[in-house]
Amino acid sequence: MKPAGQMMKQVLRSGSAVIASLIISGASFTFAQESVAVRAALVTGGLPLDDPNAAAWSSVSPASFPMSPQVHWPNRIQEVTVKDVAVRALYDGKQVVFLLEYADPTQDPDDGAALEFMVGDKKAHFAHGQPMLQVEGGPVNIWFWKNKAGKAVDMSAKGFGTLKPQAHQDVNAKGAYSNGTWKVVFSRNLSTDHPEEDVQITPGQFISIAFAVWDGRKDAAGELVEKGSQKAVSSWWYFRADAPPDYSSYMYAAVAAALALGFQFVLIRKLKKGQ
Amino acid sequence: MGALGKPIILMVTMYLFLKFVLPNIPGSAPLPSSLIFLYLLLTASGIIIYETLSGESKDAFWGPMQRFLTGEKIGGLQALRYGVLILFPLLVGWQTYGSTATSDLPPTEGRTIHPAPPGEYTGLSNPVPKTPDNIMQGKGFYAAFCSPCHGGNFDGKGPAARGFNPPPANFADPTTIAMLQESYLFWRIKKGGVGLPIEGAPWRSAMPRWEVELPDEWIWKIIMGEYDGAHQSPRTWE
Repeated sequence: MKPAGQMMKQVLRSGSAVIASLIISGASFTFAQESVAVRAALVTGGLPLDDPNAAAWSSVSPASFPMSPQVHWPNRIQEVTVKDVAVRALYDGKQVVFLLEYADPTQDPDDGAALEFMVGDKKAHFAHGQPMLQVEGGPVNIWFWKNKAGKAVDMSAKGFGTLKPQAHQDVNAKGAYSNGTWKVVFSRNLSTDHPEEDVQITPGQFISIAFAVWDGRKDAAGELVEKGSQKAVSSWWYFRADAPPDYSSYMYAAVAAALALGFQFVLIRKLKKGQ
Repeated sequence: MGALGKPIILMVTMYLFLKFVLPNIPGSAPLPSSLIFLYLLLTASGIIIYETLSGESKDAFWGPMQRFLTGEKIGGLQALRYGVLILFPLLVGWQTYGSTATSDLPPTEGRTIHPAPPGEYTGLSNPVPKTPDNIMQGKGFYAAFCSPCHGGNFDGKGPAARGFNPPPANFADPTTIAMLQESYLFWRIKKGGVGLPIEGAPWRSAMPRWEVELPDEWIWKIIMGEYDGAHQSPRTWE
């Protein structure tokens, strides 16, 4: 009876410890429920760098993000064609490639899409790194693709009216349209020589990412409906190139378990001697 | 039972009290598990100090535990003893793994929904007279500028809302504008998302900085229309 009581106490204490840790991790789960991230798995043997329809993509599960019309600053737009984007990513030791996929009923020369990243340690507002009043913000790096250009433009911005192509173009992009769906791949080296303007991708690290899409359709008067700031946008989400597997935690756990076992052994030996 | 019975009963009673009785006392609230754990830890420490005050009680307290650990004359509890001896190192190993393994979850970014406004925006009162005309005008401005995100029903579910994280505020919810003063709304509308302090995570907010587009008088009218439309009243200190 007595040892059972001791056991009971142990169970009670570790039980409440488990409950406590569940509550703590549960809190982060509830916050992270919407925070889906794009995760790039590490692949060996070649990335589908310029093929939006490559077979390699079919084994990658997409992350889906809702889009809104850009209403944050003028010129606004109240309604946009694209409501969601599905994003996949892969990387090898040297390069990263993103596949952006979305429904668009018509293929137009002015169809376009973009990825946006925070650059460096400072937070940047998702609207082109617009200056914040109480927080010093950082720049954003934008990878922009337009159907009729058939290539990517590597751009930087830090606030309204500051968006401009960089002197160093590091990004490639290619789009493929079929059955009412655009698939656009963007690729770049994980790191570049210009960390102050380009996002640097370190495996294992979460990076803020956002998306924008322009449907290049024209209205009855022949004017583009979505252009410039009149586009579909997403909020900030996360991107991460998955870190190579790290087994050190298993080793630490084994060492700790061995120490606990040794402690038990010494304690019981001492108790037996004492009696 | 003896020396171990009472402490166990005390611990269990304490746990049940903290978990089920205390939250039901008026004015109280459910305790977080970390706090319950802390209280139980304190209770256990108290018991150990009390039980080891005299040599006699010390033996009575530790004796059964020692006998259990050494496995002498415990008969049928031998299996339980082996269970504990195996489980303890595993538990330690598991805890260590949990605290050293790198998390697969994105960083959690806490966000204060209603951070403190700058001093100059506290206690301002609405200079626009609360007339039916002004309220109606405010609702018109609301429909034009605010409803795409905050919704024609003031519920935060406007057609442009879906992509934004954090979502636009739901004014019909009693924890939003009903908890705030008019001067707070004036600040939030005027300065927008980019005007938030760091704890408000301004880089995520899609709220426009309306001061560059709308005169103050319109903003005050919008506030009036918002409260009326959402069937809420501003918080006052009276």
